[in-house]
Amino acid sequence: MKQNIIKRLLQAVFVLLGVALLIFIMLRIVPGNPIATMMGEHADPATIERMTAEFGLDQPAIVQFARYLSGAVRGDFGTSYSLGRPVAALMRQAFGNTLKLAFLAALFAWILGITCGIIAAVKKNGLLDRLFMGLSLLGVSMPVFMVAMLLQYVFAFHLHWLPISGVDGLKSFILPAIALGWNSAGSVSRLVRSTLIEILQEDYIDTARAKGNRQMGVLLRHALRNAMLPVVTMMAIQISSLLSGAVITETIFSINGIGQLAVQAINGRDIPLLQGTALFSTAIVIIGNLLADCLYSVLDPRIRKEA
Amino acid sequence: MEKNMLEIRHLSASFFTQKGEVKAVNDVCIEVPKGKIVGIVGESGCGKSMTVRACMGLLKYPGRVVGGEAWLDGKEILSLPEKEKCAIRGDEIAMVFQDPMTSLNPVVRVGKQVTEALRLHRNMPAAEARREAVAMFEAVGIPEAKKRLSSYPHQLSGGLRQRVMIAMAMICHPKVLIADEPTTALDVTVEAQILRLMKKLCSDGTSVLIISHNLGVIAQLCDYVYVMYAGRIVEQADTFTLFEEPLHPYTRGLLSSVSSLRRGGDKLDTIPGVVPNLLHLPAGCSFSLRCERCEEKCRECLPDLMDVGDGHKVRCHFAGRGEKA
Ligand SMILES: Nc1ncnc2c1ncn2[C@@H]1O[C@H](COP(=O)(O)OP(=O)(O)O)[C@@H](O)[C@H]1O
Ligand SMILES: [Mg+2]
Repeated sequence: MKQNIIKRLLQAVFVLLGVALLIFIMLRIVPGNPIATMMGEHADPATIERMTAEFGLDQPAIVQFARYLSGAVRGDFGTSYSLGRPVAALMRQAFGNTLKLAFLAALFAWILGITCGIIAAVKKNGLLDRLFMGLSLLGVSMPVFMVAMLLQYVFAFHLHWLPISGVDGLKSFILPAIALGWNSAGSVSRLVRSTLIEILQEDYIDTARAKGNRQMGVLLRHALRNAMLPVVTMMAIQISSLLSGAVITETIFSINGIGQLAVQAINGRDIPLLQGTALFSTAIVIIGNLLADCLYSVLDPRIRKEA
Repeated sequence: MEKNMLEIRHLSASFFTQKGEVKAVNDVCIEVPKGKIVGIVGESGCGKSMTVRACMGLLKYPGRVVGGEAWLDGKEILSLPEKEKCAIRGDEIAMVFQDPMTSLNPVVRVGKQVTEALRLHRNMPAAEARREAVAMFEAVGIPEAKKRLSSYPHQLSGGLRQRVMIAMAMICHPKVLIADEPTTALDVTVEAQILRLMKKLCSDGTSVLIISHNLGVIAQLCDYVYVMYAGRIVEQADTFTLFEEPLHPYTRGLLSSVSSLRRGGDKLDTIPGVVPNLLHLPAGCSFSLRCERCEEKCRECLPDLMDVGDGHKVRCHFAGRGEKA
């Protein structure tokens, strides 16, 4: 078990390295000098040359990559071309907002999705099942931006219950989190429902009932843990879709987060900022998968190595 | 005569499907006397599992009991509210299922699964429950009982798993143990061990109702046998009588298909024809479609389960006259 985790950690480091290299290469393949783009059409060639040297862009690619890596390890991602501030500082500021947003969205999506999925499975074909499955179909089929604008319109613009955009305390994260989690809630609830219905047909559920377990005991002690296995896998995948959704959500709700930084970086061909945000997102996805793997092996003894 | 620990009276149960009512169990009466092993034998699909599941209150949707009673040690249990049924299940009446590979929860340690009934019904503290489980594991012949408690099902062989299932069912010392084809999924040597174990349990005073489609298992184990066909009991007798003097043509067919195997003949005696569709049972004897002796009245009128003496009962128009059908 412990060995397994160490192995996975090492793997994670290599994946991260690979991704760093990939991002690096992709950004250099794009034609044109980013400094020239940044300074606009009328910048004089001497200044461009001086700036290019200042950012180290005149060095061979290998040297640039080595510098970038050694910086990244120390938490230094260089200075943003477009904002003129250290990328690390920019990200630190944005990190909290994105984490709050993604965490709340995941919490919303998974608690709601799992609860509704369980109720729908237990009350299969009942009124609640139909209601929840109808809603979840809406959930999986509505794009993030649409949900976001709908929520903004109803709860902020019309009802004035919550702020329409910007960051002002935790309450300004409620609508964005719901908008971002809506999709995932839909797919999780559908998966929980179908898995649980299948599990409830298993022979060991009969055994559990034959022992004298009531319905609640059967669910909690026997069915749920088995039903959660595929759900955990799905949750790990959703972490990355939550992150990409965060880009859209942060833009719509004007939340100063990693997603917004990434958009800024792409628009401004801001290589250091882009590298930083991309690496950050990759790290989150890798950590999420690692956690899911650990959770999975806690839940399912069959995949644990014999001690 | 010993008192009956389990008495199934005129039990009927059906599946209500879109095509109609599938009458899987039809007016079945079974008695399990205290400390005896009673068997139900019949081809697959004749309603054996359904009969015992109905008693346990474990029918699968869309199956439902449509009539009859089940008395457990003088108490009617089918009409109890669900809460009280849960209190009895696993405590006074327990069940071992057919396939030990799928009947244990794969993600829970077997020790926890075995002690669960004790915690549910006896409110026993964990340490004490573990001691009970170790004792029970030893009683059912699981080696290294203590260590095995912390195993997961996938770490055990089929035979061990079935022993775990039996230990699990026996942990509260139920009055009646129901075993639904407990050895069908196991290989022959393991089967013999499990059967010996069941016999031992019975000598400790538990009454056992065992289901099998294997006459050999029944012959070795049971004191009394019920033969089931298309949802009905067609013959019942003590084991010796049934094997020596079978009266129903179906029972004879079953026995001769086994003995033709044993003789090693190159031709296997089988019962010709097909089992009737439980959706549209014939008006008369269910076996009439396959019976060599079938006459007009067999097709038209369902024979009663007639007592031909000494508790030997047969559902056949030709059995009562003392002639051998
Ligand atoms: N879900 C179902 N819907 C309709 N009929 C069913 C269903 N499940 C079982 N049956 C029918 O019930 C009958 C009895 O099944 P069962 O008691 O399991 O037989 P046995 O245990 O004797 O092999 C079978 O003939 C089968 O066709
Ligand atoms: Mg069966």
